[in-house]
Amino acid sequence: MMAFADLVQRLYALTTSWGIPYVVFALVVMTIQVGVVIAYIAVAAMFLIWWERKVSAHIQVRFGPMRVGGWHGWAQSIADGVKLLLKEDIIPAGADRVVFVLAPMVVFAASLAAYVTIPWGPGLIVRDLNIGILYMVSISSLAVVGIIMAGWSSNNKYSVLGAIRSAAQAVSYEVPMVVALLGPVMLAGTMSMGKLVEAQAQGSWLGILPGWFVFPQLLGFLIYFTCALAECNRLPFDIPEAESELVAGFHVEYSGMRFAIFFLAEYANMFVVSAIATTLFLGGWSGWWVRLPGLSPELSQGLFGLAWFQGKCYFLIFVMMWLRWTLARIRVDQLMDFSWKILLPLSFANLVITGWVLVAGRQARLVALGILLLLGLGFGLAVRGRGRAAAGVVRG
Amino acid sequence: MNETHTPIPVGTTVVVERTDETMEEMYVNMGPQHPSTHGVLRLMLKLDGEYITDCVPYVGYLHRCHEKIGENRNYTQVIPYTDRLDYLASMSMNFGYVQAVERLMGLAVPPRAEYMRVILAELQRIASHLIWLGTFGLDLGNFTIFIYCFREREMVLDLFEAVSGQRLNYSFYRIGGMAMDFPDGWVENCRGFLEWFKPRLPEYDALMTDNILFRKRVEGVGILPTRTAVEYAASGPVLRGSGVAWDLRRNDPYSVYDRFEFDVPAYDSCDVWARYLVRRQEMAQSVRIVEQALAQLPAGEIQAKVPKTIKPPAGQVYARTESPRGELGFYLVSDGSPKPYRYKVRSPAFVNLSALPEMLKGCLVADCVAVLGSVDIVLGEVDR
Amino acid sequence: MTAEEILGQIQQRFGDAISAAEVKGPEVRATVKPEVAWEACRFLRDAGFEYLNCLSGVDWTTHLEVVYDLSSLQHPLKAHLRVPVGREAPMIRTVTDIWSAANWHERECYDLFGVRFDGHPDHRRILLPEDWVGYPLRKDYADERMVPYTEYGLEEKLPRAEGEKPAVKAAPRPAPAKPAAPSPEAPKPS
Repeated sequence: MMAFADLVQRLYALTTSWGIPYVVFALVVMTIQVGVVIAYIAVAAMFLIWWERKVSAHIQVRFGPMRVGGWHGWAQSIADGVKLLLKEDIIPAGADRVVFVLAPMVVFAASLAAYVTIPWGPGLIVRDLNIGILYMVSISSLAVVGIIMAGWSSNNKYSVLGAIRSAAQAVSYEVPMVVALLGPVMLAGTMSMGKLVEAQAQGSWLGILPGWFVFPQLLGFLIYFTCALAECNRLPFDIPEAESELVAGFHVEYSGMRFAIFFLAEYANMFVVSAIATTLFLGGWSGWWVRLPGLSPELSQGLFGLAWFQGKCYFLIFVMMWLRWTLARIRVDQLMDFSWKILLPLSFANLVITGWVLVAGRQARLVALGILLLLGLGFGLAVRGRGRAAAGVVRG
Repeated sequence: MNETHTPIPVGTTVVVERTDETMEEMYVNMGPQHPSTHGVLRLMLKLDGEYITDCVPYVGYLHRCHEKIGENRNYTQVIPYTDRLDYLASMSMNFGYVQAVERLMGLAVPPRAEYMRVILAELQRIASHLIWLGTFGLDLGNFTIFIYCFREREMVLDLFEAVSGQRLNYSFYRIGGMAMDFPDGWVENCRGFLEWFKPRLPEYDALMTDNILFRKRVEGVGILPTRTAVEYAASGPVLRGSGVAWDLRRNDPYSVYDRFEFDVPAYDSCDVWARYLVRRQEMAQSVRIVEQALAQLPAGEIQAKVPKTIKPPAGQVYARTESPRGELGFYLVSDGSPKPYRYKVRSPAFVNLSALPEMLKGCLVADCVAVLGSVDIVLGEVDR
Repeated sequence: MTAEEILGQIQQRFGDAISAAEVKGPEVRATVKPEVAWEACRFLRDAGFEYLNCLSGVDWTTHLEVVYDLSSLQHPLKAHLRVPVGREAPMIRTVTDIWSAANWHERECYDLFGVRFDGHPDHRRILLPEDWVGYPLRKDYADERMVPYTEYGLEEKLPRAEGEKPAVKAAPRPAPAKPAAPSPEAPKPS
């Protein structure tokens, strides 16, 4: 929001007039920004944990938390947080203490660092880097290091196996994810998150649809969303956390606050990937807005933008939860198969066709769009179920 | 097999030697405490990387000397013990046992009691398969189907509670009939349950059968070839999932099963998918049987005239019935006294479990859980 | 083949090794000596009884007995074979090479009766712990941990220490009241 940048300018002028050097001012501003982001993550994660329990409950024909705090158990997350804080801090014998303690911090820091370039509203970004999306993807992939640290330092055969599987999954699904993200980048011509939203805010497709990139990039969106599920270790890709499989998972030895940090990092990560999907495919904070009485147009647009962004992000998170409680788990070799043999070629095809559309003439564009839509439909149909006649005959 | 055989001297400790161990093979122990072994079962898996080369099941953690106890109780007192064999299908266990005693005595059961037995046994089959379906989905990561199946099972348990007063171990069958008659309104409630249940089966299909992720986990996994299944005396859905359309209710009918029209689903692919489909179809067929039985339910007595102390004539019998897990057999030897002289339970899960190593050949570790779920064991009857 | 034909062939082949043979309905019953038991099983398997329903042991106090219950998935006949073995050092040849199902059944018979199965690929206890001593299903099995079962109503017969009063006999239960209202219905599914 222009008003916000203006405010920062005026404060800077004020502090300089008091003789405070720029460095101090900048540090204070950055600390406040980080504080706000961490506060947001904390509240959002608590809300998401409560929401996940409610969503899962209602899908499973039950109620979920109902008592803690009165109305639908809204204070359940707070109670859980307090409980985890009060737990005994257990470090297994034989574990590498330094690495064991550092691992959750690395995982959380990787997720946290990606919040720098999330465009919350018009002009509301901590820092609008011109390599925005590249920065986000590369920083959040550092979480893999933290996972391996956690698995290895636990001094537990099954932890190590779980951590290595998780790392393999994360790395395998990053490749098609990044290639799928290149589609909107090519369409907008920039990697900066703020400018990506602005490129979608104007214009529309066929006059009726908003100018979001999901319409030409449906295939890219589906590929990105599938890979995002795998990055967050959500079902159907939750082998690293699977409770009922042989291997218990990389965070099996963690308890109390350290476990809570892993949990928090997972929900923070979910928000990050939803934010990326919203920004690149669903138009970010852009959407219908009207000037509210008594507020300036910029402020109104800012408020509506904030609301649109949150709404789109949480809708995508809701879809992630919906999928988790509906689908079964995929096996680890099938997971690798799916990523390298299906998603990666599809994402490359998406990239090539997008490039072709951008440089070719009108007729070629229609053909290319047609091919893209067909691929998207084919992908969607392939992951749907087939008929049931595969096994044999019912004998009477 | 060699025809000439040198007998091992009595008193030699026979040691099983594994002579083909290589350095790359690893032993992994699953259980006896494990969320997916469905009870206290221990599986020693021999792994070569991710592939299972051998599996040794260790059972007996739930052994409760059932057969010895049976020799020290009179015939009616054994009935509550049979409940605890396969506690998820108590009605079927009762049914098998009283059938055996009645055959030993040559006793005829009144028709109303026979129909009641069939209705309750088929409802029990539905309930047992619902637990199987729920826990099978849970093992594979689908949490929601577990709650859905238990919702329907609660209704069946409510029906059973109305009839017998118990939710789980009913002890409702008696030698010569049933303990009590259906309460007023029970038949209507049962019909109401069936009407509610019929559209639920497509719901389960949407979550499991039609889901490609589930299909990829179960197709081609845990193959038990037909010949091997017969050699291992597999029964029930395990045998029918290996292509043999053998169902005791059809091929060796007992009680009044020959008066009902129902299909026996059998599939050729011999894998977990086939066994899954068999049980899924069996639920629909059980609904059919219950509907027909409710329509044909005659009025009358529910208990034949039996002496106060049941003393079958001296003799032996092996009587078999089709429980949800397979062929449940009771081998009874009577010496004319009120207590059985020998009481042996041929439990279907015990025999099906012995074929598990064959099914796991060539499977991945991650498939072990799916294959074990498809055998559908209950440790209560495996160990007795 | 009919049951009588099978019985005739058994009698022809094994002659004096059979102690009792009869046909009862669809079932062929025979009692054979342990020396020819394996061959008899093999013969029955070839006659179409490829399904081993049950293999159990029985303790007649003079001797033990191994009982085979067989059936077929192709024809409706059944077979019931009994093989008496001695109580001291009971030994019989395994039939796991005829029916794989016998593997676990024989282990259980060894576990609970002590019958040894010559040539069994995995001859160890199955239900009881590996270090258990004794064979519980034998009639002469005694264990100081076993508690005698007392019928309901015979509490005065329970063993008790010196000076302890006999257990109180439970009061007789009152007759159940006649049900006046209709029985409670199971709740309707919502």
